[in-house]
Amino acid sequence: MKLFGKVRGLRLATKLALVGPVLILAPIYALIQQLDLESVFVEAQAQSMLRTAQGMSTIFNGREDLFENLAINTEDYEPIYARPLVRPIRLDGNPEDWLEQSERTHTFGDGEDEDARFSISIGERDDAVYGFLNIHDDRLVYRDARVLRLDNADHLRLEFLRLDGSQARLAITFTAPGIVTAYDMDDNWQFAESGKPENQVRGFVEETEQGYALEFRMPTDMLAAATTVGFSFVDVDDAETRAIRHITRSLPSAGRSAFNLVRLRSTELLNILDGLGFSDGRVMVIDGDNRLRAASGAVSRNLATISLEDEFRPTAWLRSLVRPATTLSQDPVQSEQVATQVIDSALAGTPSVERRLHESGFELITAAYPIVSTDQVLGTVVVEQATDRTLSMQSQAIDRLFGILLATFVLIMVALFGFSARLAWRIGHLRAETSRAIDESGRLKIAKFRREQKAGDEIGDLARSISTMLSSLQRYTGFLERMPRTLRHEIHNPLNTLTTSLENLAEEVEEARKSKYLASARRGVARIGFILQGLADAASLEESLKTEAPESCDVATLVDSYVRNCALNHPQREFIYRGPEQGLVCNLPDYRMEQVLDKLIDNAIDFGREDSPIVVQVELQQPMVRVSIANRGPVLPLSDEQSLFESMVSHRKSQKRLHFGLGLYIVKIIAEYHGGSARALNLVDGSGVLLVVDLPLLRERELTTFPKESLTKPAA
Amino acid sequence: MQGMAKHIAIVEDDPDQRANYCDALAKKGYEVTAYASRPEALEGFASSLPDLVILDIILSGEEDAGFDLCRSLLQRAPELPVLFLTERTDEVDKISGLRLGAWDYLSKPISLQYLAERVSSLLRIVEPSALPEQHESSKVGNLEVDLDKLTATWRGRRVPLSGTELRMLHMLIEQPDSAVSYARLMKATMQPLVTNNTINTHMRNIRRKFVSIDAGFSCISNEYGYGYRWIVQ
Repeated sequence: MKLFGKVRGLRLATKLALVGPVLILAPIYALIQQLDLESVFVEAQAQSMLRTAQGMSTIFNGREDLFENLAINTEDYEPIYARPLVRPIRLDGNPEDWLEQSERTHTFGDGEDEDARFSISIGERDDAVYGFLNIHDDRLVYRDARVLRLDNADHLRLEFLRLDGSQARLAITFTAPGIVTAYDMDDNWQFAESGKPENQVRGFVEETEQGYALEFRMPTDMLAAATTVGFSFVDVDDAETRAIRHITRSLPSAGRSAFNLVRLRSTELLNILDGLGFSDGRVMVIDGDNRLRAASGAVSRNLATISLEDEFRPTAWLRSLVRPATTLSQDPVQSEQVATQVIDSALAGTPSVERRLHESGFELITAAYPIVSTDQVLGTVVVEQATDRTLSMQSQAIDRLFGILLATFVLIMVALFGFSARLAWRIGHLRAETSRAIDESGRLKIAKFRREQKAGDEIGDLARSISTMLSSLQRYTGFLERMPRTLRHEIHNPLNTLTTSLENLAEEVEEARKSKYLASARRGVARIGFILQGLADAASLEESLKTEAPESCDVATLVDSYVRNCALNHPQREFIYRGPEQGLVCNLPDYRMEQVLDKLIDNAIDFGREDSPIVVQVELQQPMVRVSIANRGPVLPLSDEQSLFESMVSHRKSQKRLHFGLGLYIVKIIAEYHGGSARALNLVDGSGVLLVVDLPLLRERELTTFPKESLTKPAA
Repeated sequence: MQGMAKHIAIVEDDPDQRANYCDALAKKGYEVTAYASRPEALEGFASSLPDLVILDIILSGEEDAGFDLCRSLLQRAPELPVLFLTERTDEVDKISGLRLGAWDYLSKPISLQYLAERVSSLLRIVEPSALPEQHESSKVGNLEVDLDKLTATWRGRRVPLSGTELRMLHMLIEQPDSAVSYARLMKATMQPLVTNNTINTHMRNIRRKFVSIDAGFSCISNEYGYGYRWIVQ
């Protein structure tokens, strides 16, 4: 309960600290808005790409000729299509890169003669033609690097027409498993045309259980105009004779043209595509058989985005916070399927657009629009574009906005904190000054505030009005404090008139001297005089105390003596003293202690039952000396136990004398001035009241005679 | 009372009190002139000076009129006994009154009997030849108190006590070694309204004055709750 009593509520700054962070919602809300906008932008981009694809498709609509423009009659060949590769190919002889192409693998070689048989997969990617050959060879014969002739070891031959119409002959040779070397060959396929290898063609060979796994890459430019390319594996089995044992060609029979690979790219389509000048992405034309016929441009990431992503961006995690799951699949394999779906859907006659995640982490929009002829779908135009550019602008905008908002937020928070700290500081000081203005006993200490007097705000108003209140209060308390003295001054004159008149009356009139009325008039005058004296004494008590030189007295001796003398002054009452005869020295002058006892005894006599004794007790309760006076009689209401010692508070009705409640107030002032305290308690059994005065013990010692103590002090 | 009646001037603005003083002092055989204000008094003093002047401090609203009068009177006649009788009981006023050269400072309310006594003893000091026959003097141990001369001597040295203090001391040594109650000591102040605390204050002053002469002085003992005692050593 005590805890709850102390904790009234949160401090101003704490409240602000709790409320302030709500401001952070502003930038987060802005971020969410931006992300919403982002999807709108991306959607708009997707739509615009679909429109682009549509626009392009109109060029090809009805142009069956473009799609049938194959240089050779495919009926004579089993065509091998160079299909676009989704994944990058690493030249390492590992067939894993080619798993997706396994269905499109073609096998060449006689079935019965297993040796020198090979299967081939061809694909295109990033302006290069890739090939993977799985060659069966029971005896592997590597080229001897010291021999110039190149046809005396296992090797692969490529034949195609160059741009200038000349026939190209390339031999891919290898001296050991690993990197292969390609050479331009002479007409007889025996020696290299020049001594230098053809570096544009790169490859890698690996030994397998069956023979070789050969992977190679050559730039599409080399094949430029060629629509067909022929592959032949030359098998040498005897390492000694090095004679060619068998040549397996990609052509089923040797009697026909040597060119036996069909490339599906159409130069005319490509020219049209290039002519369109689409630079922001990749455009592909795919025919009705789902074959890539032309491609232009590339999907590239925006450089700005890349550089941005390399840095730390606070918005990145906020984005992930706000949009934890994207609508895009994180799996690139699945993404490829999505793209296939788009193309399939377009080939089925429905324009379609999809967003997917590129394997290198950026987002790709693929839009496909069908190319139609009168009654059939000829193919589709596929437009691919990275959203990076849009998104990077977007993301930069977000970052900027977020940065500004965050900075604003921090600034506002700092300003708010500063402001609240200042406010709390000002209010705190105002509170401190206000509580200093009035002391524990309710007396005014400061009448005018120095702080906040010039402040123009509400705190200033508060300070000024408190200051004004205090000034009024000071005038009032000043009036009250001066009153007893003023009263005494003012009443002394009429009182003097009264006393002197009564004296003259007694002097002049013989009968009056004996009159009981004169006596009662004199008593009345005396009583008024005592009241005035008491009021004035109480009012000036504190001032007098301050001017007194410090003195000490033996409280035990004093109280013992005092109680014995009480019996002389009040023979009708019984007084009991309990305590040591001497030895408890306190730091206050004897006459002040006597004054305290006067008041306490007066109080006990007035309120105690006449037939009961008044018990005065002195005991040592380290570090205080306790003087307590108990009397049987009416008890105090509980709430008055504390206030009994206040000025002008008298709770109990006394029949015997006029009570202003000054006596106990004087006790309290004297006790507190000397470092002690005074309080009133009801006796536990409810039979009376106990007045307790605690005074700090100066020292305990044996004293023979008390007065010496005070007399040896120099005169003040 | 022999010879010419002594002339006493009273300056008091309250007519009732003025009349009471006049009546009481006139009855004692003095010739009394009363003034109600400072100008009136100055006018009166211009023609002739009295033998003793009783002044109130506040006169018809003038705060320090009594002090001003005292100053101008003592300028003309430095030996003139001036006595303040006022409602201003603050220590500050008392000190400034005595500093001006006043012979005594009495507070209201006052007993007329005491006033007459003070007047007569002051007049006796001015004219030693007029000393009456009876000599009220007491001697206890090393202490000698002469109420007529208003002197106290301790081990042959004069103790500078005021009239009230002398009277109290005298009361103590009348019954040496026995306690004198507060009630009795109050009578020595000759004032009608006195508290125990007033007596305590006087006693402290007396002790202090003795101690300033003799550091080993310890003849006055407090009977707490009853009064004081003179211990004969």
